[in-house]
Amino acid sequence: MFEIQEELSLDKKLEILSDAAKYDVACTSSGVDRRGQKGMLGNSCAAGVCHTFAADGRCVSLLKILMTNHCIYDCKYCKNRISNDVPRATFSPEEICNLTIEFYKRNYIEGLFLSSGIIQNPNYTMEKMCEALRMLRMEYHFNGYIHVKAIPGASEELLYSAGLLADRISINMELPTQASLEKLAPNKTMTNIIRPMNQISQTIASHRLAIGKSAKMERAGINQKLTHSIFGNTVDKIEGGSSLFLPAERKDRDLRRPFAAAGQSTQMIIGATDETDLELIRTTQSLYQSFDLKRVFYSGYIPINEDDSLPEIGTPVPLLREHRLYQADWLMRYYGFFAEELLSEKNPFFDQKLDPKCNWAIHHLENFPVEINKAPEEVLLRVPGIGPTSVKKIVSARRYGNVNFEMLKKMHVMLKRAQYFITCNGKMLYRTPIEENFIRNQLTDTEKVSVMKIEGQTVQYKQMSLFSDFGLKAGG
Amino acid sequence: MYIYTCEPNLEAMLSCIYDAWTSKRGHKNIKLMLEPVEQLTLFDEYIHVDADSEKVEKVMDAVNMKISPWFYRQLAYSSMAYEEDVLDNMYHCMILGFHHGPDALGMVQYADIMRHNEIRKRLGNEVNRFQEVLRFHQVGEVYIAHFEPKSRIAIALGPIFEDRMPSENFVIVDDIHKEAVVHHKDAHFYMYKLSDEELARLLQTEEENDSYTDMWKVFFDTIAIKERTNKKCQDNLFPMWARKHAVEMN
Repeated sequence: MFEIQEELSLDKKLEILSDAAKYDVACTSSGVDRRGQKGMLGNSCAAGVCHTFAADGRCVSLLKILMTNHCIYDCKYCKNRISNDVPRATFSPEEICNLTIEFYKRNYIEGLFLSSGIIQNPNYTMEKMCEALRMLRMEYHFNGYIHVKAIPGASEELLYSAGLLADRISINMELPTQASLEKLAPNKTMTNIIRPMNQISQTIASHRLAIGKSAKMERAGINQKLTHSIFGNTVDKIEGGSSLFLPAERKDRDLRRPFAAAGQSTQMIIGATDETDLELIRTTQSLYQSFDLKRVFYSGYIPINEDDSLPEIGTPVPLLREHRLYQADWLMRYYGFFAEELLSEKNPFFDQKLDPKCNWAIHHLENFPVEINKAPEEVLLRVPGIGPTSVKKIVSARRYGNVNFEMLKKMHVMLKRAQYFITCNGKMLYRTPIEENFIRNQLTDTEKVSVMKIEGQTVQYKQMSLFSDFGLKAGG
Repeated sequence: MYIYTCEPNLEAMLSCIYDAWTSKRGHKNIKLMLEPVEQLTLFDEYIHVDADSEKVEKVMDAVNMKISPWFYRQLAYSSMAYEEDVLDNMYHCMILGFHHGPDALGMVQYADIMRHNEIRKRLGNEVNRFQEVLRFHQVGEVYIAHFEPKSRIAIALGPIFEDRMPSENFVIVDDIHKEAVVHHKDAHFYMYKLSDEELARLLQTEEENDSYTDMWKVFFDTIAIKERTNKKCQDNLFPMWARKHAVEMN
């Protein structure tokens, strides 16, 4: 393999290094609200801004690039592993800064997402990444959003600097168990991932306390009011402060920036190993509880490397499974559900035909129907078809009078799902038997079209035939 | 029925509301519409109202003092919308506001309030959409963006981009309503009405693409994962009407 780095133009480098970065899922620019400042470029909006949507339907919010795709590791699932013969390139810090600034001024992006393959060793790589970020913040006066990937195994000083320079810092967990890591990523260990994750979460907490905020990250909207949720009882673990970043040399402490103001996140690959959905959402839940993560991302495994221990090339990406896991993740983060409520040891995989909330509801019909005009917020949140925004609208409307189905429709409540579980002023929308089978069939039909869309099938309708569909035989 | 009409800008709309209100013809006998009125009805009387700063001030004071400044801001925001019935809706919301106070906007049991919320939501989505898809072109020291909104939202984009790029010179041109947000480095933005000639000249700036535009296209193409291609999802999230000035789509 030859490498003639000097001859690569900037657009060629961008092509190679964005192509190498595209398998990282996180592209969110949310989590921190920061006003612009004269003399600087950029601000940050807590809700995040998607600037465009790529051909795969994923939003593009950040300039997602690797600093380099050279790598000394040989993780079996990765495109950039050392044993793959792919074009390699490296950005200089100036190139990263120029691209970010010029794209930002043209409103193409909301900020930078910087990850990297490992060159020489984790410390050298992290040092180079920090150098680029420092230049972007100090010399180019960039005040927009930065998401940086922490390199497992890098020193405390460097991770501390990265946290101060960026808004969000993340360490990819990739696989949820030590056994899977040993199998597919022999150079990584669970300790090398969990230890910095813990240190980052503790350091975020202590920085938050120092500026008069609560130790735990703020959760959005209705979640702040939920008393029974996965974020309920973890304060002690975070305030313990036993493993902060307290490096002897603190290079960027004069920056006067909060440490990772938008929190930390991680991502897990699904479909490459044989974990169950239950194991995945349990791990997710404990990550939220122990490390106060902002997000856990799932990445449906795309077979790009040939290897005996991996699915064959051409195996379909588990998009529907990924979709169901994200739905479950949302239920845990915004709806007050726990992993154990959604799946059990007996039933460790999600029903592919039905979303997890509907599935939970039809197994708990004793709680339904609920009266829209009287039910408390946490009960309304558990009704399929009603989300946090609808709950807010319903509760606000109830202060001034009764709410009826017509109003629910205008509030964009999904009545096609909610109608089986609610009453307005004591009446259901239609005559509906509260029977598991009946409701399951109705909901499965409602969900069918979206399931087919995710699986990439086209939805076709046809005129039913008495003979082929109903088995009638022509009389002779 | 008496139908009061005015030009689609906040000053004219508030003057129109003032005239309709003080005419004492009874709220039920009055309708307010924005010009141009496409289909005139046979048995209604149309009364055109011009903007008048004195009337505007009176309406502003009344709403700010007797209801609340927040209520006024909500109505002023919705006045940007392109919906035909937006002026009539503002008038009826104001009636409810004077009756119930600022909480009136939460009383969705009134059809007018529900309609106001719908307009408000759609308008908010439109502003967010253009916050995302506005694309600037560098012309010397100035960054210029063109867009074609349904509503007159340029004024809402001004503060958003002023906060984003406080120390840059930029112009955001609304090609449909012929108005522009002009921002000078380290100063506050202002609105500017464009003549046809100025607009035609400004339109040429869209052809000013540089190497960064080309690199953005390269990035946009390579960042998509081939195995996950999902055109329908892309179309849902990024509708065709919003793509016209998005350089990566053309």
